[in-house]
Amino acid sequence: MPTNEFNRIKSHLPGDIVLHRPRVRSRRLRRVLGVPALFSSAYGNVGSSIYYALGVTAAYALGLTPAVFMLAGVLFAFTALSYAEGTAALPEAGGSSSFARRSFNELISFIAGWALMLDYIVTIGISAFEVPNYLAVFFVDLKSWPLNSIIGIVIIGFLALINAIGVKEAAGLNIVLAVLDLVTQLLLALGGLVLLFNPEILIGNIHWGVAPTWDQLIYGISISMIAYTGIETISNMAEEARDPGRTVPRSITLVLFAVIAVYALISLIALSAMPVHQLPDGTWTTELATEWRTDPVMGIVAHLPALFRPILAAWVGLLAATILLIATNAGILGISRLTYSMGQHHQLPPLLSEVHQRFRTPYKAILAFAVFASLLILPGQIDLLADVYSFGAMLAFTFAHISIIALRWKEPDMHRPFKIPLNVRFRGRDLPVTAILGGLGTLTVWLVVVYSHFWGRTLGIMWVVAGFLLYVIYRRRKGLSLFRTYAPALTVATSSRSTSM
Amino acid sequence: MTKATSRILVPVKGQPDDDEAVRLACVMAKRHKAKIYVVYVIEVPRALPLNADLPEELHQAELALDRAEQVADEFNCEIEAELLQARFAGPAIADEAVDKGIDLIIVGIPYRTRLGDFHLGSTATYVLKNAGCRIWLCRDAIGKQETS
Repeated sequence: MPTNEFNRIKSHLPGDIVLHRPRVRSRRLRRVLGVPALFSSAYGNVGSSIYYALGVTAAYALGLTPAVFMLAGVLFAFTALSYAEGTAALPEAGGSSSFARRSFNELISFIAGWALMLDYIVTIGISAFEVPNYLAVFFVDLKSWPLNSIIGIVIIGFLALINAIGVKEAAGLNIVLAVLDLVTQLLLALGGLVLLFNPEILIGNIHWGVAPTWDQLIYGISISMIAYTGIETISNMAEEARDPGRTVPRSITLVLFAVIAVYALISLIALSAMPVHQLPDGTWTTELATEWRTDPVMGIVAHLPALFRPILAAWVGLLAATILLIATNAGILGISRLTYSMGQHHQLPPLLSEVHQRFRTPYKAILAFAVFASLLILPGQIDLLADVYSFGAMLAFTFAHISIIALRWKEPDMHRPFKIPLNVRFRGRDLPVTAILGGLGTLTVWLVVVYSHFWGRTLGIMWVVAGFLLYVIYRRRKGLSLFRTYAPALTVATSSRSTSM
Repeated sequence: MTKATSRILVPVKGQPDDDEAVRLACVMAKRHKAKIYVVYVIEVPRALPLNADLPEELHQAELALDRAEQVADEFNCEIEAELLQARFAGPAIADEAVDKGIDLIIVGIPYRTRLGDFHLGSTATYVLKNAGCRIWLCRDAIGKQETS
């Protein structure tokens, strides 16, 4: 071997030279997040959706909004279980894309990942768009269009820039804010239970088949999926979890209970405070869907007794804006990691997934998807965002469920630190009931979105077709199979090495 | 030094002050027949997955660990060199100390100032606050490092 492949490291005796072959040590990942950190990060993201999901869902589901959220909550629970099993077994950033790669092939994995990307883009857009709507408590004009869209775009631009140049965020601060958010939501719910909750009004809000109509109800169910934006962050966090087989399922269970409880309470209180009523033209509505459509939680505060209102409004406005900023940032981080992961698996061209040499971030992807998110919020239509989210999320979640079922079938002996508990035995394999029901549910909702949501269907299908073409052209140009998985650039293994004289 | 010391951890960053920390660890190891672990933590930006491939950082880590081995060689000491990827070095070092049953962490730090005042750095501060074992700080002489 030529000597230039060696490094000179030390002379033992005068004139002696010890040559030392350059080595590449393998790396070990140090995962440090426990249940509290995982819970608060996931809750910070999922729990932030209440600040916009309530108004947009109430516009269609009217008096049945709490029931619709519970139904969506069941689908959320089933999806969370599938994510818990998948991410505990495959703690990677790709989420449903990683599950699909293992259970099917690279093309299915790409479609799942590409759909997930759309969710991240909507999460970035909707969270940023909501920030000025909640800050309107201080300056009322902030709630008006186009100012709210412009400020939302400025926020996206700012966060994209600081993420592209790799500014470290204070993880501890995020955790504190998420806990504060949960406490505030619970206090609001408890205060509302005492001061606003009225079962008679809630029963009077429901007019079967009329308000909402059956079509509205189905539409409301499909749009209510926006309530659980951020579920995909669980898979992002799993790669950083200490003992993911134990900590991920525990934190997911905690998030599940917290989110469903908060949604149930807040929606019941909101509809007690802002009952469904008929307009002179015969249509039915609630203030939640009109005056408070973009800042529904502020609507609850506005109906509390005047004594609490000023301080609580300022507190809720400020906290909501902060939590939504964090959710925007989490969306940017999520899409950034997903792009990198897809690039590593030769699913996206380097043009998108390239990492900046100095900043060590996939800056092109961050900036490109920030532009997409900005375009989505430009019209200031929250319904459009909810439509597009439902399209992408239901597609990605359906792939997640199907992949978990397929993995049980193809690799029954695969190491699964967490296994979904309720199973049916079929031809010697345990198939998870919640994944089957969840997959059927999310597929049904996706079909409803495709059938009845114009913007969801139009933009969603355009997104999938554009992605598919990008994938096919890129793989063909590189001479790669569309279906085959090629080894990623990095294999991670435990390493330790001893040296002695 | 009266307490038994059987496992020593030295986090390195590829700075000149690492050498002094490794030397001190070697002296202690010889006296107590202790084992030395040297770790280099690559901090992965949050915009990338934890297992991201960072060739430049990897190269720096290799150099730092090789240097630690050379210093240990001068003392005829055996070290176990390891490379970790984590979000933040502080929690990674503190957790590593727990996992390995470390009795003593020796941290080499430069003399740095921020806004005119001495600045310890976030990693050393985190380790001091959170690691359960004994910690020795080995600060470089004033003037040997540039101020930040």
